[in-house]
Amino acid sequence: MKTGFHVFLAAFIALGASWCGFVLAPALQLGTAKQAAVLNSSDIYPVQRSGDATLGLQVYRASGCAACHTEQIQQTGVACEIELTSVGKNPAAVEKQINALFAPSPFLGVNFITNDQNIPYGGPPSIDISHLPQIILNHLEKSKADAVVGGITSAGGKAEIHIIATGTDIARSWGLRRSVAEDFLWDDPVQLGDIRVGPDLADVGARLGNADWQLLHLYTPQSVVKGSVMPPFRFLFETRKIAGAPSPDALHLPEELAPPAGFEVVPTDDAKNLAAYLLSLRADVPLYDAPFTALQASTSAPSNKK
Amino acid sequence: MSDEPKFPSTQPDAGPTAARSTLPMWIFSLTIVLLYLGAVYFDHHGGWFDARVYGPYVSAEELDSYQPKSGAAAVLAQGRKTYEMVCGICHGVDGFGKPGQFPPLAGSEWVNAKGVQRLTHIPLTGLTGPITVKGEQMNFPAGMAAMGAALSDSDLAAVLTYIRSSWGNKGGPVTADDVKNVRAEIGGHAQPMTGEEMMKMPE
Repeated sequence: MKTGFHVFLAAFIALGASWCGFVLAPALQLGTAKQAAVLNSSDIYPVQRSGDATLGLQVYRASGCAACHTEQIQQTGVACEIELTSVGKNPAAVEKQINALFAPSPFLGVNFITNDQNIPYGGPPSIDISHLPQIILNHLEKSKADAVVGGITSAGGKAEIHIIATGTDIARSWGLRRSVAEDFLWDDPVQLGDIRVGPDLADVGARLGNADWQLLHLYTPQSVVKGSVMPPFRFLFETRKIAGAPSPDALHLPEELAPPAGFEVVPTDDAKNLAAYLLSLRADVPLYDAPFTALQASTSAPSNKK
Repeated sequence: MSDEPKFPSTQPDAGPTAARSTLPMWIFSLTIVLLYLGAVYFDHHGGWFDARVYGPYVSAEELDSYQPKSGAAAVLAQGRKTYEMVCGICHGVDGFGKPGQFPPLAGSEWVNAKGVQRLTHIPLTGLTGPITVKGEQMNFPAGMAAMGAALSDSDLAAVLTYIRSSWGNKGGPVTADDVKNVRAEIGGHAQPMTGEEMMKMPE
């Protein structure tokens, strides 16, 4: 076969290039990934899972949860929000500066400062500067937000920029930011999932952080979430005769599902581990590669200088 | 022989040729233009294979510009760090202290006070003798040393701001100027104050 070598070479190059793209390049990029610092904090993310949560990942895998649930929050954009925190000594100047931002453009009759549909074009916002701090603008690009804050600062006021991640997943309150590589550092194997019959679970521990709720939901999804299509995972529970005192772990079931008198439904170790794993899914801190402003009550505490 | 019958030719009139022809110029130019546009697009949107750059960000520079640099958050982070190093040993990283010995800061009326005068005095002068916190008598024989005297104004202000806004506390921020004023008022020779002396001060 005269062309045998050429066929081999072509196949080698084709497969080798795929291997470089799919295996080598990601390994070079993320193979050395380690825990990252949480923005504006001395914390490290993610913390190692507890032992039961690590076992719970295997229950999650074995129960086929990833067939209906993803663990990846998508983010399509990023926007800035401006919070006016102080008007300084000359409130009139700050107010004038803010109103000037909303002055309609002389040519088109609209202003381009914000994409927020709630603020009418050209109409000055109703900013009551006696109630501070107050969000005065949102849906801004970073460069425009910087310009606005610069204007307010030069007028003697103070304002802060909040970074907000946007996207449909985030609008559904599935998370505060997109998923990044660090989120999966302790997952083996990673349970990304690709079909969303049920909601995304990347941040479920922060959203539904109650182990009892999680266990009851596993036993009887429809009794806690109306209209849920999730099948009950009752093989993770055991109905047994109460021997002596009732178990503190026993589920508090609604009447129609309650076991006969003298019996109780208790979660097996697998169920407890799975619940621990679900509670450990928390992608709720800002990281360098997925920044957002973590809004704490304290950042908007009113100044109380005497 | 000239009357030989003419047979139809077995050769087709015009067969395919195997000659090489030059690549049309327009295909060549289009390829170059498309490659150029692709390179420009990659340059602007590809993040240059930086593992930290995910969509919707397109470059490390853009990602840098979106890092929150909110003053309040940075102060809290600084305060938390110092608190856990200096104060947390006795008052606990959860701010609950130790019953009967180290007063809790979480929910304490001393911490949540309207003014910051008394609160700022405590780490600068120290505190001795019994005091009442959340209705409970506290007495730690050794008292509290002036743990904050060695901290800078901004560090101490950050710590006080942190404890006034953590664990459900709702006090306002403390500024470096507040700390500076109290420090000047105390002067160089500060004796630990007692709870009674503290109560005589304005909040």
